[in-house]
Amino acid sequence: MFDLTLWMVGPWASMQLGALGADVIHIEQPDVDPRTLGAGVPPTINGTSCGYIAWNMNKRGLFLDLKAEHDRETAYNVLRTSDVFLINMRPGAAERMGMGYERVAAINPNIIYCAITGWGEKGPMRDRPGADPQVQYFSGFWSLNGQRGERAEVYRHFTQMDATSGNYAAQAVIMALLARKRTGRGQRIDLSMLRATAALQTVGLSAHLATGEVASPLGSAAFATAPDRAFRCLDGEWIGISVTSEPQWAAFCTAIECPELLDDQRFATNQSRVHHRSELAALLEPRFASLPRHHWILRLDDAGVPCGYPLTFDQLRHHAAVIENGYLPEVQTSGWGSVFTGGPPWQFERTPASWSGTPLPGEHTADILDEIAEAKRAPGSDGR
Amino acid sequence: MTGAASGPLDGFRVVEIAEGVAGPAIGMQLGDAGADVIKIETPQGDRTRAWAPAVDGRDSIPFRSLNRNKRGVVVDWAVAADRELARDLLADADVVIVDLPELPHADLDPKRLSEQNPRLIYLAVSGFGAQGPWAHRPAADLPAQLSSETTASLGVTGEEPVRVGTDVGGMYAAIYGVQAVCAALWERETSGLGQRVDVSLFGSLIAMRSTLWVALSNPDEWWGFHLDSYAKPPDHGYQCADLPIYFSLARMDRDSMSALLADLDMPWVRDDPLFPLLAADTGGGTGRHAHEVHHLWERGFAKWPADQVMATIERHGGIAFPMNDYARLVAQPQVQATGVLARIPDGNDSDEFTTISPPWEFSDTPASIRRSAPALGEHTAEIQSQLPRREKVGPA
Repeated sequence: MFDLTLWMVGPWASMQLGALGADVIHIEQPDVDPRTLGAGVPPTINGTSCGYIAWNMNKRGLFLDLKAEHDRETAYNVLRTSDVFLINMRPGAAERMGMGYERVAAINPNIIYCAITGWGEKGPMRDRPGADPQVQYFSGFWSLNGQRGERAEVYRHFTQMDATSGNYAAQAVIMALLARKRTGRGQRIDLSMLRATAALQTVGLSAHLATGEVASPLGSAAFATAPDRAFRCLDGEWIGISVTSEPQWAAFCTAIECPELLDDQRFATNQSRVHHRSELAALLEPRFASLPRHHWILRLDDAGVPCGYPLTFDQLRHHAAVIENGYLPEVQTSGWGSVFTGGPPWQFERTPASWSGTPLPGEHTADILDEIAEAKRAPGSDGR
Repeated sequence: MTGAASGPLDGFRVVEIAEGVAGPAIGMQLGDAGADVIKIETPQGDRTRAWAPAVDGRDSIPFRSLNRNKRGVVVDWAVAADRELARDLLADADVVIVDLPELPHADLDPKRLSEQNPRLIYLAVSGFGAQGPWAHRPAADLPAQLSSETTASLGVTGEEPVRVGTDVGGMYAAIYGVQAVCAALWERETSGLGQRVDVSLFGSLIAMRSTLWVALSNPDEWWGFHLDSYAKPPDHGYQCADLPIYFSLARMDRDSMSALLADLDMPWVRDDPLFPLLAADTGGGTGRHAHEVHHLWERGFAKWPADQVMATIERHGGIAFPMNDYARLVAQPQVQATGVLARIPDGNDSDEFTTISPPWEFSDTPASIRRSAPALGEHTAEIQSQLPRREKVGPA
């Protein structure tokens, strides 16, 4: 996989494919300023943005200066042996580098060419900058979040729109590889962060389109179900409970020893509970405040009602639910020691994915150039 | 519009035995990509049919927006004939999506299914993973958001947690679930074998916050950026006279900054003791000191409409964006120009339903929306009649 990506959204996509077993060759300019890697997102580890380290695992590093004739030839040789080409630059940038779809497909007609942009290849915003924060503001993702009765608020971890879009791109690449098995052809994939973040919000946006209502912040509460929110317990700790079906509602009322709620017509169906959300919460608040959180966790777990509570990073990384599923592995990187990261989100029973540390920029240049030379010399090679 | 599929997954058959958000969103995405998806529901139906909002007494919008491109079958696991239908469907399926904390019948045991159909990919979706002390805790978005620390980037520490309003737990598990299914199908091309794969809401949310885990591992200096967001107050953007905006001054030099402040008629800001922070913080709305000087910018923006503030910032080399709510978003020309919205023709009646397009644009094998969400059991008879008749051998 020829990975001509930078910053987050593209590198995130190729990192997933690398974990799934692809040989991802990540291209960097030989004269890259290390302070600009990963868009310089702080904090740094050994002087390099944590972003670069977090977004470029599961890859090999190749230095190529695509402005130089010789290196461009090398790039084309790498492309001849690649299944996938991935780029995230503004529309037109790939063409200026000699890496447009027509050119790449002429070199390797079977290639899956995936271009990620902020806003798409058309429309008045085509050439606008499309980094994660801008996509969050524009796409309305922020507008559902916030304290009850307050203005909506931004999600203060500006990486989620990039990761969302990168993940959709990774899906598309594997889908296109599967299609190639059937059709025998490569193809081009376009993926805009705008369409990706809209797809993420399919339910909320469809609700707006159907009702015309503009959602306002509900604190911890859900707009679709009730009771589905957090309550403060006697010990001051918060518990989140989510009643999402009628059997869960019955189990919930029994578990918290409030059977009278089952006979209250205001709460007879989910939609009526949503409608009377505030009255229901007012009845439940004192109940939860009367006993410590652990009491409720035991009762609700036993009753099969979804519940949970906030954990911090330090609690998470030592928690058996994390460790036993391999969710936060510690991986060894080439230049930045060992770091924790979110590991494989998929657990394959027979062919496990693996998460490996980040290479230095260009770390594998010599190896990869040897492999390319070897491939050209191989008997039966058509010289491609 | 029930045309033939031509998407990248054309020819694959998926059985979905799942409800809520994550499992059905996986089935939907696979269906968008061309797979033939059959949704099995119990006689009670998917719980999301009863969620909010609903229009005209119909199935809820969450249900209708997550279950397009599927045919619907009802199976009562207590009835032998129904189980036989499910067995027949699973016998030649490529993929089954299962999200049940407890299997309703031993027929659904992954090992048994694998013996019957070794090529089957069994995707198990759970709240907190297949292993560990929370393996049997049922899935829901808020518990997974809280436990994965997702909610630490919203609200005020110590006060009531604020959830991400979008069901990110379910949707991210779905996105990773689709990756897992496609990767397993790809691997099957070589090995000829299916396998079990697990995804969870909790694990997916943890994976999405990887940047933060790396940042927290061993930073040279810890002061954060947006990564220390739990230490910062809620961020509402920058309210102008009419609407909120967001901005960055990343490439702005000193002269441009002076000109910007002059054009916004903010001479008073130079006398504020926080002015040095404001002038040094080229990150603008996302900068290190943004929350400390936020009120100064808002005071300056308050007398101008958002369009004018954004144009002024951009004229001087900054970047400014509107903060859209859903009504403003769907009215944006860019949304119209790039096909974000899709209309679903609604089966036999004339009612149409507007929803969101699949995110990918394939040049050769386009994704498509071919049918609306099924009524409960709408296709049971049709699918029964299409299955090859099996010789009955002994009691069911």
